Amino acid sequence: MKYLHYIYTLLFGVSVLLFFGLAYPHHLHYQEQFQLFLFDSTYVWEIVRQPGGVADLLGRFCTQFFLFAWVGALIIALLLSLVQLLTLRLANYGWLYGLSFVPSFLLWLFLLDENALLGAVWTVLLTQLAFCGLLWLPDGWLRRILIFVAFFILFWIAFGGSHYYRIPNTFPTLFYAAWFSAMIIPLVMWLVVRGKKSENAQQQNSFLTSHLIPLTSYLLVVVVMGAFIWKNANFKAEKVMQYDFMASHQQWNRILETINKEKPNNQIGVTVQNLALAMRGQLVNHLFDYNQNGIAGLLPDVQSDATSPMPTAEAFYQLGMIYVAQRTVFEAQEAILDFQKSARCYKRLAQTNLIIGSYEVARKYLSALQKTLFYREWANETLPLLGNEEAIAKHPEYGRLRQFAYDKDFYFSDHVTPDMLESLFFSNTDNRLAFEYLKAYYMLTGDRDRYTKLLLHISNKQ
Amino acid sequence: MKIYIHIYTQFLVAVLLLLSSCANHPDVPSSSKKVNSLPAIFPDYCNVIVPFNIAPLNFMLPADEYEACVARFTTPDGEQQTYGDGVKVQIPEEEWHVMLDAAKEKSIKVEVWGQKAGEWLSFTPFMIEVAKEPIDEYVSYRLIEPSYVAWNFMEIVQRNLTTFDETQIFNNELTCNDKKKGQCINCHSYQNYKTDNMLFHVRVSNGGTVLVNDNKVSKVNLKRDYTISAGVYPAWHPTAKLIAFSTNQTRQGFYTQNPNKIEVYDMASDLILYDIMTDSVSIVCNDSTLLEVYPTWSPDGKYLYYCKSVPFPVELRDKDITSTYQKVQYNLYRRSFDLETHGFGEEELVYDAASNDKSVSLPRISPDGCYLLFAQGQYGCFHIWHYDADIVCIPMNQYTGTGLTSETASPVDLKFLNSDGYPESYPSWSSNGHWMMLASRRDDGNYSRVYFAYFNNGKVGKAFLLPQEDPEMHTFLLKSYNRPEFMVEPVRITPNEFSKAFE
Repeated sequence: MKYLHYIYTLLFGVSVLLFFGLAYPHHLHYQEQFQLFLFDSTYVWEIVRQPGGVADLLGRFCTQFFLFAWVGALIIALLLSLVQLLTLRLANYGWLYGLSFVPSFLLWLFLLDENALLGAVWTVLLTQLAFCGLLWLPDGWLRRILIFVAFFILFWIAFGGSHYYRIPNTFPTLFYAAWFSAMIIPLVMWLVVRGKKSENAQQQNSFLTSHLIPLTSYLLVVVVMGAFIWKNANFKAEKVMQYDFMASHQQWNRILETINKEKPNNQIGVTVQNLALAMRGQLVNHLFDYNQNGIAGLLPDVQSDATSPMPTAEAFYQLGMIYVAQRTVFEAQEAILDFQKSARCYKRLAQTNLIIGSYEVARKYLSALQKTLFYREWANETLPLLGNEEAIAKHPEYGRLRQFAYDKDFYFSDHVTPDMLESLFFSNTDNRLAFEYLKAYYMLTGDRDRYTKLLLHISNKQ
Repeated sequence: MKIYIHIYTQFLVAVLLLLSSCANHPDVPSSSKKVNSLPAIFPDYCNVIVPFNIAPLNFMLPADEYEACVARFTTPDGEQQTYGDGVKVQIPEEEWHVMLDAAKEKSIKVEVWGQKAGEWLSFTPFMIEVAKEPIDEYVSYRLIEPSYVAWNFMEIVQRNLTTFDETQIFNNELTCNDKKKGQCINCHSYQNYKTDNMLFHVRVSNGGTVLVNDNKVSKVNLKRDYTISAGVYPAWHPTAKLIAFSTNQTRQGFYTQNPNKIEVYDMASDLILYDIMTDSVSIVCNDSTLLEVYPTWSPDGKYLYYCKSVPFPVELRDKDITSTYQKVQYNLYRRSFDLETHGFGEEELVYDAASNDKSVSLPRISPDGCYLLFAQGQYGCFHIWHYDADIVCIPMNQYTGTGLTSETASPVDLKFLNSDGYPESYPSWSSNGHWMMLASRRDDGNYSRVYFAYFNNGKVGKAFLLPQEDPEMHTFLLKSYNRPEFMVEPVRITPNEFSKAFE
């Protein structure tokens, strides 16, 4: 019974794990794609030398594992459980044991936001660890000096920063609430429980006071905050992120299964749905079986944010519009609000530069990816392709996309026109994806004349 | 216990100091196979002419081909020193400057050995010639991703060319009050290579021109209701508190299948003159049918040079510029300037590039007034994205009042300055006129880098890349060096002091 609270912590941790692993995995993928963690001394130093840099670095280090959602969920579960245990360790809670979960729940609530960064959790954790360490020391001049020194060190490694939230100049209220609760709750409990020490001593042996009431307070906090978390979770965004994830990993069959269960009705979902249908040669036949968003559902105009252009860029890439895809990905990366780089974007930019023959530029991206944990192997496999025309020509993806290149150059702006698709298709009539998109374009715009002309042209050629 | 801690701390400090000051002086390989070619070092510093005050020319052999590199430097006084750590050769600044002093107006001999598959190869030695003329101590540039429309973090920085010190002049985070819109900073410019009178623009959020007038910082708005935009490309008058600007309505477009990647073009552009003392803007040229851009003053301030587009053939005049931009070509003109009245004389054609189906941009006159430097491509005026763009240098004594053409002008031979098939742009002169600087995408076609070349009486040395402490830095840095400008002194106003102009 002495270690009963560990079971409660375990239950909490498992809940966090299941939530992020089952209900929120694509939020983790989303986080991972907006950073590029490099095992490089310059990169590390540039982060660490900033106030709050150590917490930020630890957050970024952990975020790279979010590529695998369950590993990410486990990391978050461990961190939040640790925050709870440290909150518990800092004071004796008695009946109010449930309050030790409040900082962790607040951090959980904070992490529901896709722009919340894991460095914030590390800030809370490092602060708690510093306090625990100081309390562990015997009272005396050494501890007083260390408290004084720790304040400055803590400011530098954890709390002096501003990189807790991706959108600059935004006050992350929930993070600060979590941080203050992690400090204030133990302090208040220490004062309250200390005042009632004698009273508590008499009640120590009571099962009711030592187990049942703390359990009740635990359940109360869990139910109230758990309900709050479920209510505030953005499952709509999770769905959109799922489509983006599936498109980026080219999971065309999974996309078709997903859209058959629930037809997407958002911009990204429709773009991905149409791409998957086209990749499987079903776009024209099933175009109107699903929600459409006019021609914007095929190749929407590129917006100046980091998220919405990515599925469109995937469509450009698969179509063989490599320069357009490159521009779209580059711009998306530039739109990342906290100025980080993206491993996903680097990988795609390496591919587009490889396909168009800009080998030295591709080498730059690949060299950077060689310094990552999870993209290193791919970069090492891709590097030998640079300049190797024969190997590229034989490559199932790069060789095919090279053949789809425009045979005449022209000028374009932000809006995809049917002329662009026509030119693409007639550059290489084996480009079935371009054919599907072109036909779908005419169907969505109701341009029967051009649709008929296209079919006549194809039948005449055959 | 305390004594031990004290001794340990002292030891640690000593080791760190030793490590930071020590260079690796390896032995020359005892045996090696001779190779009859120059080493494929990066950056390519083989047989270059450098100023006697330049930072160490650190270099490396390709890491995917070689395991190690050793270089032996021999100065004219017979002193020798070897360097090499892995595939990199990095020379401590102090030792390098001793070598340069010993080799002033002479040469340093460099022998390079490279270890490949366990075997040492000995390459043909090369020379580094040390010119007696110094290079300006500072250069400033904007570091920016070579993007299309969007941008991320950008900064204008200054680099001490005699060391590796690089400090920030300004960045686009400090005064950006709308992060979603973002802020762009550009067009840093100095009067006569000095920094007590300088400017740069801030665009989009919290925009304006940051002007330094005798070290006093202010933010000014150069837009007037009779100009098509605020001031864009600036040119400080060499002596007066006057700045010529172009005003531009600039657009961008993108190619579907062209390595040029981006086309930057003007829908309209004019020239204005800004009088700092009276905060007044006057029109220099505003022909609505033509495009005037890139003003620059002669060193005596008596002429304003600029580029101006050639009138379109009648059949093209009403067409959309997105279909005709490849027909837009600029020639180089000048107008005399009267400092007393601020009046401009008649327009003179200086160089007719269009007659040779070319287009000029970014003219600069040498400090002695004897040479004209500009970028030239087949069309347009934004040549840093044009693979055919090269730098051209013409002796001004060839200009006698009649517009020069490719047939009548005899340009200086710049075969050692221009690259083969990559964009070159933004040429400029050092304050003593002995060093040319340009931005070039020759290393990979995408990321522009700063190159220098020696110039003396119409002879031009081989261009060499801005040296870096870690020679691999140019490989990994995913930023372009934009608008490199020489300065004889650093900008002493801090970024935060600049920010106060926005309050």
